[in-house]
Amino acid sequence: MLDRRSEILLSSFVALFSALALFVWIPSDSETGMVETFRRQTNIGDAFLPSIAACGMLIAAVVQLVLSLRRKPAAARPYGVFDGTTAAFFGALVLIVVGSLLLMFWAGPILWEIFGDPERTYRQMRDTAPWKYLGFILGGVSLVWGLTSLIEGRARARRLAAAVLFTGFLILVFDVPFDTLLLPPNGDW
Amino acid sequence: MEPLQYVWAGVMAFFNGPEAFAVFGIGMSISVLMVVAGFLVGIVGGATPGLAGPFLMAVSLPILLSIFGFTPEALLPVLGFLVGVMKGSTVGGSVPAILFNTPGTPDAMLTTLDGYPMAQKGQAGKALRTAHFASVSGDTFSDIVLFTCAPFLAIVVEAYLGFNEKAALIILSLSFVAAVVGQSPMKGLIAAFLGLFIASIASGQDNYPRLTMGTDFLQSGVPLITAILGVLILGEVLVAFEDMFRERRASGVATPEVPQSTDNGLSLAERRKLMPFVGVSAVVGTVIGALPGIGSTLAATLGYAMGEKMHKGPVPFGKGTPEGIASTEAANSSVSGANLIPVLSLGIPGNVGAVFLILAAESIGGFNPGPSVFRFTTAEVNPELIIAFGLFTAMMFANILNWIIGGHIMRACGIMARVPKQVLLPMVLLLTLTAIYVQETDFKAFYFAFAFAILGYLMRKLRIPALPFVIAFILAGNLESAVRQAFAVSGADPFFLFKSPLSLLFLLLSVVVVIFFSRPGKRSANPAVEAERNAG
Repeated sequence: MLDRRSEILLSSFVALFSALALFVWIPSDSETGMVETFRRQTNIGDAFLPSIAACGMLIAAVVQLVLSLRRKPAAARPYGVFDGTTAAFFGALVLIVVGSLLLMFWAGPILWEIFGDPERTYRQMRDTAPWKYLGFILGGVSLVWGLTSLIEGRARARRLAAAVLFTGFLILVFDVPFDTLLLPPNGDW
Repeated sequence: MEPLQYVWAGVMAFFNGPEAFAVFGIGMSISVLMVVAGFLVGIVGGATPGLAGPFLMAVSLPILLSIFGFTPEALLPVLGFLVGVMKGSTVGGSVPAILFNTPGTPDAMLTTLDGYPMAQKGQAGKALRTAHFASVSGDTFSDIVLFTCAPFLAIVVEAYLGFNEKAALIILSLSFVAAVVGQSPMKGLIAAFLGLFIASIASGQDNYPRLTMGTDFLQSGVPLITAILGVLILGEVLVAFEDMFRERRASGVATPEVPQSTDNGLSLAERRKLMPFVGVSAVVGTVIGALPGIGSTLAATLGYAMGEKMHKGPVPFGKGTPEGIASTEAANSSVSGANLIPVLSLGIPGNVGAVFLILAAESIGGFNPGPSVFRFTTAEVNPELIIAFGLFTAMMFANILNWIIGGHIMRACGIMARVPKQVLLPMVLLLTLTAIYVQETDFKAFYFAFAFAILGYLMRKLRIPALPFVIAFILAGNLESAVRQAFAVSGADPFFLFKSPLSLLFLLLSVVVVIFFSRPGKRSANPAVEAERNAG
């Protein structure tokens, strides 16, 4: 179980979110209410399910809040949920993931612009080797190698080789046997 | 068609389905081939710490859908592969537990207690053979219970339950899962209601897609498989990344090689001696498995505790006795078949493995697991029933495969436990993202995947169980449709859910279950429940 303070914060946040959903979001973002009468026929409206869900969340969060408030602070076992290490980890993770996905998305079209035939577009070449593999290989390798290096705290050539081999393996699994499948990011171009 | 003809048609659909290739003029059914492939993937994956059955099923599903498409012919090969993975990973999980004291799956934790000491005594081969024998026995027993119970339960449900009772039954199942899984029933309920809330985005009946805030991004709703992969798999991956980042343990410390004894076989007499332990644990696991939300960790704990009471041998439990391994493995393996009882008879997935079977069936179409499957219509053919018996055949075929070759493959998989997790998990992330993309072919799918990964990460960090969220997310459509129909049938009676005694009973039970599991002190009083909740 989390420590008392974290439980109180969590329950309060869920209670606030569900109250906002119940009283603001659902009424303003659904065409029909909980129950809808049309031509003297009464039916369940579109707001019914989300309202029941939000109401249930609100009740459970309030009960959890009351239970947490009744807990003695001294009895709580300390359990750090988020700290500076979490922030550092997520900072590095976001950099690696966003950088790799950007590389994956843009590498193919940019390299085509530089080295490809100016008469044609990347879209026309998106299912042609080697262009269709460039973004996936560069983005995939940087994602796998970057994350492994982040976790290990150092960049190793062996891990780079493993990342390259694995990305090649995925190409063999997803692309080589199937004509209809598109590797990322080629479906977007 | 007569009932026996349905059974035979199911068997034939599995063995005589679309041909993959022919050997000497004899065609090999693609369904058979997929069960074999799934079984091999399951054993190798189960033997790899960091991977587990549900993990492998999650990653395979989009790939399978891309390969086989969305026609009814795809059902048996896809479900067969997933069943193969489920069964293979159950036996594979014990390999690293026995050889390296590292459980491949959470429920194999108790296998380490006796398996690793046996390996240290030079009896690794005997320990692996015991684990395989107990695991396959438990699994086969549980499948037989599934085949006999699920159709009868489904017929009863279909005959006696109307729309309001079905809606109340879904509510009862959700409350049960929410109350049992995780450390706090209230947090379980929050997770379940959040699942219902998110599932309702853009899924209504009006022209305007509800809760989309007028954005194009949400207009098509939340992609089901991407969301579930995000919460269950990527969320877990993020937590594992952070844990490894924190620990940054020094890896590669070589453990000294233990000389192996020559007595590493498992004789018939030894197998007979294990049978009482296997039998008791198989019954425990099957009963536990039939209840939605309660998983194999609790079954393994209870099976081990009961085996310990029965044991009178020279080597006590926990010091390296085959009876300890047999009790644990038979119990956790017998959960997998019984877990499908609520899926096939009620349409309610009780565990993560079952979630992926339902997802596969829903994505492909033509087979809606639930009571309506078991309609033994004589005037016209019920194709869903043939698929159900085809699925049972696939499960039995996987069991036979497991009996014949499972043990050999499992013993050869010891090397997988040496794959470092810090290398494996980033690969799993890329594999999952690729599998999602080839199905959606839109970078937008990555945004959804990462959004749900963060949700899954937060749920794990804040000790909110993910399983009630996922099950509610899947059942939301059925629940809403049952409620709408029950309300319409009742003539817009506001108390439509409380009119039938059975429906009232289900609703009362829903409240009682939540109150019962919320009692203070209940959790700490029972270490088995505590173990299960921590695993959930």
